[in-house]
Amino acid sequence: MAIKKKSGSKASSNGNRTVNKAHTNGNRNSSLRQYEIPDYRLEHPNFSVHQVRKGDEMRYEVTGDLDTPVPPIRDSKYLDKKQCIEIYRYMLLNRRMETALENLYKQGKVVGGVYFGLGQEACSCASAYALDKDDWFAPMIRNQGSLLVRGFRASDTMMQYMAKAGSPTKGRDGTSHFGDIEKRNMVSPISMLGDLIPVMSGVALGARLQGRDVAVLTYIGDGGQSTGVTYEGINFAAVQNLGLVLIVESNEWAYSTPSEMQFKCTDLAERAIGYGIPGVIVDGTDACQVYDATREAVERAHRGEGATMIEAKMMRMKGHAIHDAATYVPKPLFDFWKRRDPIARFENYLVRETKWLSAKENADLIAEVEKIIEAEREIAVNSPMPTPESALGGVYCEDGCHAIKPKYGMPKVRKGSGGFKETEAAVHLK
Amino acid sequence: MAQLTYLEAIRQGIWEEMERDPTVFCLGEDIGIYGGAFKVTDGFIGRFGAERVIDTPIAESAIVGAAFGASLTGMRPVAEFQFMDFIPCAMNQISNMVAKTHYLWGAPAPLVLRGPSGGYVHGGPFHSQNPEMWFVHNPGLKVICPATPYDAKGLIKAAIRDNNPCIFFEHKYLYRRIKGEVPSEDYVVPIGKANIVREGSNLSIITYAAMVHSALEAAEVLKNDGIDVEILDLRTVSPLDREAIAATVRKTNKVIILHEHSRTGGLAGEIAAMINEEAFDSLDGPIVRITGLDSAVPFSPPQEEFFLPKVSEIVNEARKLKAY
Repeated sequence: MAIKKKSGSKASSNGNRTVNKAHTNGNRNSSLRQYEIPDYRLEHPNFSVHQVRKGDEMRYEVTGDLDTPVPPIRDSKYLDKKQCIEIYRYMLLNRRMETALENLYKQGKVVGGVYFGLGQEACSCASAYALDKDDWFAPMIRNQGSLLVRGFRASDTMMQYMAKAGSPTKGRDGTSHFGDIEKRNMVSPISMLGDLIPVMSGVALGARLQGRDVAVLTYIGDGGQSTGVTYEGINFAAVQNLGLVLIVESNEWAYSTPSEMQFKCTDLAERAIGYGIPGVIVDGTDACQVYDATREAVERAHRGEGATMIEAKMMRMKGHAIHDAATYVPKPLFDFWKRRDPIARFENYLVRETKWLSAKENADLIAEVEKIIEAEREIAVNSPMPTPESALGGVYCEDGCHAIKPKYGMPKVRKGSGGFKETEAAVHLK
Repeated sequence: MAQLTYLEAIRQGIWEEMERDPTVFCLGEDIGIYGGAFKVTDGFIGRFGAERVIDTPIAESAIVGAAFGASLTGMRPVAEFQFMDFIPCAMNQISNMVAKTHYLWGAPAPLVLRGPSGGYVHGGPFHSQNPEMWFVHNPGLKVICPATPYDAKGLIKAAIRDNNPCIFFEHKYLYRRIKGEVPSEDYVVPIGKANIVREGSNLSIITYAAMVHSALEAAEVLKNDGIDVEILDLRTVSPLDREAIAATVRKTNKVIILHEHSRTGGLAGEIAAMINEEAFDSLDGPIVRITGLDSAVPFSPPQEEFFLPKVSEIVNEARKLKAY
């Protein structure tokens, strides 16, 4: 880690010079230029999406190799049987919760739309599973599985969608837009993309000032990474050597725009080179790959070695939200990724490859998950709507509302003798 | 009591808070070894170290975002904008992230965003603005615009201790032009409380920041005309001190609202509406607005002078209002 350990040189002649390593790490000698983007994948899909004209209509077409066989799950370097089954269970909960939400929407019980993480459950659940309790995370709209892993209940998310009084925001916001800085170390997302990246970097900075190197995980899509604040946030984390773990969910579509129209580089992980941080590529439909890469990034963060970018390749298997039938997605692309369904692949791995789950155990697990989701649905449905007047209050943190104290202990401060002296230096614009 | 400049008062306020509370730290562009473009943090890095006085990349969204993130862990960051003209670079962080966090999900954001604003220094359109209204119209923020060294020090300390995001506009024209008495013992000036800086009986000028000094100058001229002016220094423009505004109108029955930023959608319109709600029956004349023009702040000194409110303008408007 950079600043805290004060591992810089003690100078010889004139006293105790310390070097701020945050500003000196990394070798800027370009003759030593050496880049590497580790790629955990067992296949390298090769196709691209283009705009084509058919008469008076424009549409998207996919060309390339779409018939390649589905690769096996890559054995994890770290996960044991119990942990794999636990991640699989979260993935099942994630999908069943979203199915329940879809049904609630059809019954007219949801206010607004529903956003899905279909096809992305491995990425959400296995990445969040790699965090330690003291680490922080911030989900994006599709990471509803991450919330379950971090201890929120399915009914929390359901009540958010139904704008219920019992929801974590008491009706004030919907979807995964909620947080908890006391117990679960979760920062609420906002709808604008990329803004969580500098915020999470700031969480790591705050913790470091208190003597703790925590990992701070958040997500960004192939669409969201186009925003300027994404650049600002990653660069800030890189320069300050903060433990940001950024999962780039490369899911082919940003609303209706294909990734080919979002960026020009081959893989988004390449951008890590420009930031001077490690970049890794994983198959986002393989829970073991997602876990391993995230775990390694989390451990780097704990060692104070700074930020990591992990690009997870997968596809958003529904539209942007429930209103969007995604008719713009070429069918062969859907078919390609449907064969790589993260839950079906992991189930196959657990039941048939490793035999860590018998068919009966798997069926029992699915039944248990369905029972939980049904109970959670009941809780959510039975929560009342908020009163109109509950829109009032809470704009400011008033006296006695929150006690602000450093979460990891009082920061150590430099004992100094320098008293306050007036400054006479020249200034910009008099 | 020591005589300090407005700038030194702010510097001393932040310094003392950093001495008092280890959770206070500074971040911003060029604030470390260089000491900041206006030298507000001059000498801080030597005393408090690079851990607590952080030079950042030129990235305003990252500065605000990082300050907010650190505040979620219980820190009290003080982030500097080199010029407040650059604050819209971080608008989404401020407006959608920081300002809404407590209302939406109950997370307090005890951070201070501070920096120089205001004209009269020929800084041109991008170094002279008073962008406070963008934040007044943004529930969840506290917006502070001090006029004197005493208030500047007391309010920066109050802002750092406040559990809410505070935007602290320092007027760069005042930085080294005014001096005032500042006690050496610890004190704060409460946020949200206006201050009568001159008692009067004929009419009230409601204003803040550098315009307080223009109003005081005008009041001296008007005294010779037998016009007794009361001046209310708002000190905080959000939340506004409704009671103090209503009280001065009830006392003098005539009111001028004076501010440096552009007229349309400006604070004077809001205060006029507030007077309408609180003290309409007390009015003996039209509410008068003296403001900057509805344009960018022009660069060339004659143009800038024309754009900004002038003492002569205040004197003329006050005479007309008195005679109404």
